[in-house]
Amino acid sequence: MMEKYHIESYCRIKDQRISLNGATVFESAETNFLPFIKEAYKTLDTQYPKFFKMDALSKLALIASDLLLKNMTEKNIALVLSNRAASLDTDRRHQQSIEEADHYYPSPAVFVYTLPNICLGEISIKHRLFSENGFFVFEQFRADPLVDYADGLLKMQRAEKVLCGWMDLDNEKYDAFLYVVAKNGIFTHSKKKINQLYQTS
Amino acid sequence: MGKGVAITGMGIISAIGEDVAENYRSLISGQIGISKISQIETVHKNEIMVGEVSLTNSELEERLGLPKNSWSRTSLLGVIAAKEAVAQAGISDINKERTGLISGTTVGGMDKSEQYFYEYFENNDAWHHINGLHAGDSTQKIARNLGLEESFATTISTACSSAANAIMLGARMIKSGQLDRVVVGGADCLSKFTINGFKTLMILSDTYNTPFDENRKGLNLGEAAAYLVLESDSLVEKEGKEVLGYVKGYGNANDAFHQTASSDYGDGAVLAMEKALKVAGLTPEAIDYVNAHGTATPNNDLSEGRAMLRIFEGKVPKFSSTKAFTGHTLATAGAVEAVYSVLALQNDTIYPNLNFKTPMKEFELVPETELRKEQLNVILSNSFGFGGNCTTLLFSKKA
Repeated sequence: MMEKYHIESYCRIKDQRISLNGATVFESAETNFLPFIKEAYKTLDTQYPKFFKMDALSKLALIASDLLLKNMTEKNIALVLSNRAASLDTDRRHQQSIEEADHYYPSPAVFVYTLPNICLGEISIKHRLFSENGFFVFEQFRADPLVDYADGLLKMQRAEKVLCGWMDLDNEKYDAFLYVVAKNGIFTHSKKKINQLYQTS
Repeated sequence: MGKGVAITGMGIISAIGEDVAENYRSLISGQIGISKISQIETVHKNEIMVGEVSLTNSELEERLGLPKNSWSRTSLLGVIAAKEAVAQAGISDINKERTGLISGTTVGGMDKSEQYFYEYFENNDAWHHINGLHAGDSTQKIARNLGLEESFATTISTACSSAANAIMLGARMIKSGQLDRVVVGGADCLSKFTINGFKTLMILSDTYNTPFDENRKGLNLGEAAAYLVLESDSLVEKEGKEVLGYVKGYGNANDAFHQTASSDYGDGAVLAMEKALKVAGLTPEAIDYVNAHGTATPNNDLSEGRAMLRIFEGKVPKFSSTKAFTGHTLATAGAVEAVYSVLALQNDTIYPNLNFKTPMKEFELVPETELRKEQLNVILSNSFGFGGNCTTLLFSKKA
């Protein structure tokens, strides 16, 4: 029989609110993303100065993943994220620096973030994870490829746990939904449950 | 559960050839594809060398029977290579079996976005390129042009290991029985976006790139598309197909070191190679040839060299980087080098690592510098991406 996996924990960052396992842990009146996430960084006591050098997508990913990984001792955690906008938010900044003839100055500090999987690198660096990483681009949130990938990794013992989810940010619109899949947990690991958590958290 | 993942078709378009046969001819005759840039107008044109596909967009469009200025160059290259792969696999009805498409890209339709950046405001003629920017757009176009209907089609974006990860995921889905057949690979065209970006990182060479050489000056950017058709054992048996080689192992690990640089001793690379060997059930001694990532940046070649010394415990097999032929084709590199690895197995041939003169001072590793005929059974191919994403693939003659 196939082993059943579970969702151990989940979090959401959207619409000026951050929640962990359904409970609000931070809320703000700040409508702009960068000041909002900075405020969250301080309130949640993240203490990781590299945060300030990151692009917006990596800041979002770092705060979200930290909620789930902060107190975790397990290090064999694979990362499987997805989104719609890839790294377009930062791509545009880089593009503008090339296009503007008067202010031509493409910056390496911006360019290094013009790939969506850089945020996986940032999570891996912060939490010392040397595990498998995957980043998918979909039109919209899709649970099925994430479930298949996570099940496969756990079944073939490529990882003890898998951090999965949606990490989308573009033009001030942000939506982070992360969950940890493990042997034990609060919910059964299924497409239906993940879709439900995504819709309601 | 199937035991092997068979490769039954390959397609490629790169700076050294418009199809598989032409690429192979260039590899064995030392015909390189690195030149001054001709298809993109850039302020850096005199300071860089690139691996360009020689056909213009119009010529590519003509070949596909498309109206002028329809698609991004990424999609044009992608469809051409994917079609060649499917044709070689002898697939007549692509929807008859559960067939998927997994494609890697990093730039997507960036080439058109930068071209029409300002015109979008002024006229509507180029608006179709706005939707074409999305990384998933080229995958959709390839799926449609292969005639795929209801199928698993997805895009992977993990920098320069994207196509290698597409091959890994495809192989896994075949092994686990989720798909019977899958087209895997990647497509990336040159763009000002990447030229300027890599320029700011100061890792572009102003001359021909020289992998693993002490005096290497950096990489040449390249463009290409390459795809492989992977099929399950049972499908191969049922249809009596010719098998070109097998995906024997795969492994991915994060280097957890820096956004773009590899760690000093290649920790992520070592882990990826270890994992791939474990999946294949092989020891390092089984590897006959390594097609290295070998981008010719100071950082990559040192880190990868040290990683090879670690995994092979000092006894590094024959190795070379083919980047001196093609340039670094970014998201596509893993698929380009997968095609080259399978060709190497089929022809028992090791490609030369061109432009190598002086061993690096940190170690005594010397790549193969001459074309070499030798019995090859298992090849290891590395692809390392920004974000610390390290992938190793193993290709074998036998399942």
